[in-house]
Amino acid sequence: MTSKRTFRTAARVTVVAVLSAAMLVPMYIMVVNAFKPQQEILLSPLGIDFATASTEYLEAAWQSTSFPVVEGYAVSLFLVLACNAVAIGTAVPAAYAIARTPKLLFRILLMFFVAGMFVPAQIILVPAVFVLKSLGLMGTLPGLVLFMSATMIPFTLFVFSAYIRMLPRSLDEAASIDGAGRQRILWTIIFPLMRPIVATAFILNALGAWNDFVSPQLILGPGSEFRTITTGVYAAVSTYSTNYEIVFPTLLLAVAPILLIFVVMQRHIMGGLSAGAVKG
Amino acid sequence: MPRTSTSWRTRAGAFANGLLTVPALAVYVGLLVVPVGFAVYYSFTDYNGFPSRTPTWVGLENYRRIADDPIGDLHPSVWVTVAIAVVGTLLVNAAALGLALLLRRTTPFNTFARVVMFYPHVLSALIVGFLWQAILGPQGAVNNILGGWGQSTLPFLADPQWALATLIAVIVWAQFGVQLVLYLAGLQAVSPDLKESARIDGAGGGQVFRHVTWPALAPTVTVTLVTTVLSLLKVYDVVLGLTNGGPGDATQNWAYEILAVSFANNDIGLACAQAVLLVLVAGLLSFTIIVLRRRAEEGAESLG
Repeated sequence: MTSKRTFRTAARVTVVAVLSAAMLVPMYIMVVNAFKPQQEILLSPLGIDFATASTEYLEAAWQSTSFPVVEGYAVSLFLVLACNAVAIGTAVPAAYAIARTPKLLFRILLMFFVAGMFVPAQIILVPAVFVLKSLGLMGTLPGLVLFMSATMIPFTLFVFSAYIRMLPRSLDEAASIDGAGRQRILWTIIFPLMRPIVATAFILNALGAWNDFVSPQLILGPGSEFRTITTGVYAAVSTYSTNYEIVFPTLLLAVAPILLIFVVMQRHIMGGLSAGAVKG
Repeated sequence: MPRTSTSWRTRAGAFANGLLTVPALAVYVGLLVVPVGFAVYYSFTDYNGFPSRTPTWVGLENYRRIADDPIGDLHPSVWVTVAIAVVGTLLVNAAALGLALLLRRTTPFNTFARVVMFYPHVLSALIVGFLWQAILGPQGAVNNILGGWGQSTLPFLADPQWALATLIAVIVWAQFGVQLVLYLAGLQAVSPDLKESARIDGAGGGQVFRHVTWPALAPTVTVTLVTTVLSLLKVYDVVLGLTNGGPGDATQNWAYEILAVSFANNDIGLACAQAVLLVLVAGLLSFTIIVLRRRAEEGAESLG
């Protein structure tokens, strides 16, 4: 019995260890090859010769004009913050109203919002481009932020309204007896209690905004002065996809910071994901 | 009933609450619902997207073009999309559930493994595609290693069938970690007492899984199936980075047809007809899965 159990544990650990290694190999290849010249990448993709290793390729990628790294990070970070501000800022009052009004109309309204979760954002981008054009927002950051926020609102609002339903109504009532208005109750009493679910929505929306490629590419346009991480990588890599001296350093620069953030915040990110799924 | 709550039920109270939904409604309707409406309208027109031209009504012509497929490019893309959605969903969920069972206990080793399985999700799909292209391409790392060993190279991205299999494998690599986290959360909800009593009654590991764990996971399975199918139906970034639809049109899926073919060729009417069909299929499939899974979930509730 004991030997059987030890064997099982050993088998389990081996399987998991081999799989983990397989998951990490691409990262290893990317990091190692970011410091090597093309010839060496082709000859020995896995090894690294410290005599010839150099940071010049990373420096070249850093200075690339098609992918301005620092600006790319700034634009992507701006999108994360701005889209979350719009999506969360509008979803909180709407979810509050929907959760607290026991009328059929508001239940229908919730379903109307939830239906948006099943519309693939990048597929509806083509007609959205024409809506943005008619609003004069095509090719602008506000237009991009509005579109991306619109795709985040259904999920955000859905989890918020489910969360607010769990908060006791007596809180609102006590505050309203004390003479607080709707907005006051919402922002000073309900919103602070929503912190866990707001954090969940923020993290999930942030990942979506950070990694979105099609929306910035189509709405800002390939010739735009604004490049996100993803559109920048596309501009720098897609035409030189076999010039590995450019590909690996560019990819490394694009993923290093987000991986760092992930390693530091992994508990919150993965916890947020499962919290969002349980509520959804 | 507390008396103050009446203010929420009066017509004036409801109207004031309605006002709170206006900002969210404006953004959502303006940039998601109206575009869906536009998509439906344009799908019945011939329109090249230039502001100087107005869309001309052609009725069902775009849908007929999709059904008849005169150039022979749309029907293959349907099969690519179905292959990715069906095979990908099965593999993603099998891998995620299997690993969730292996990693269910929280030990430092398991926590590390979970992070390692999950991390591709924080990378953008486009970058995942480019990275694997550099690894599996004809000049890529794997083929150079094989060449160094004196072996012949493998056509991961050069042969049509290999390319589709590679694409699905890369998608599974990038996506199963998310579903793994969901399955782990679902496993937390499986009652340990129920498992213990099943074991005391003499049930083996397989039987405990089949009769206790699996039914209790039913709601989780519904969520993972719907989210996987929805995300696999619309994959685009990873296709663009990994194969750019090639070789030929071997890995061009429906989303690629919409964005990189019809829209890029200024065929807005056709692109919108394709988009409308995809939205309908995505909605219908999700709805079907939810309805079919409801029975399994009811079983889970009576069990819990």
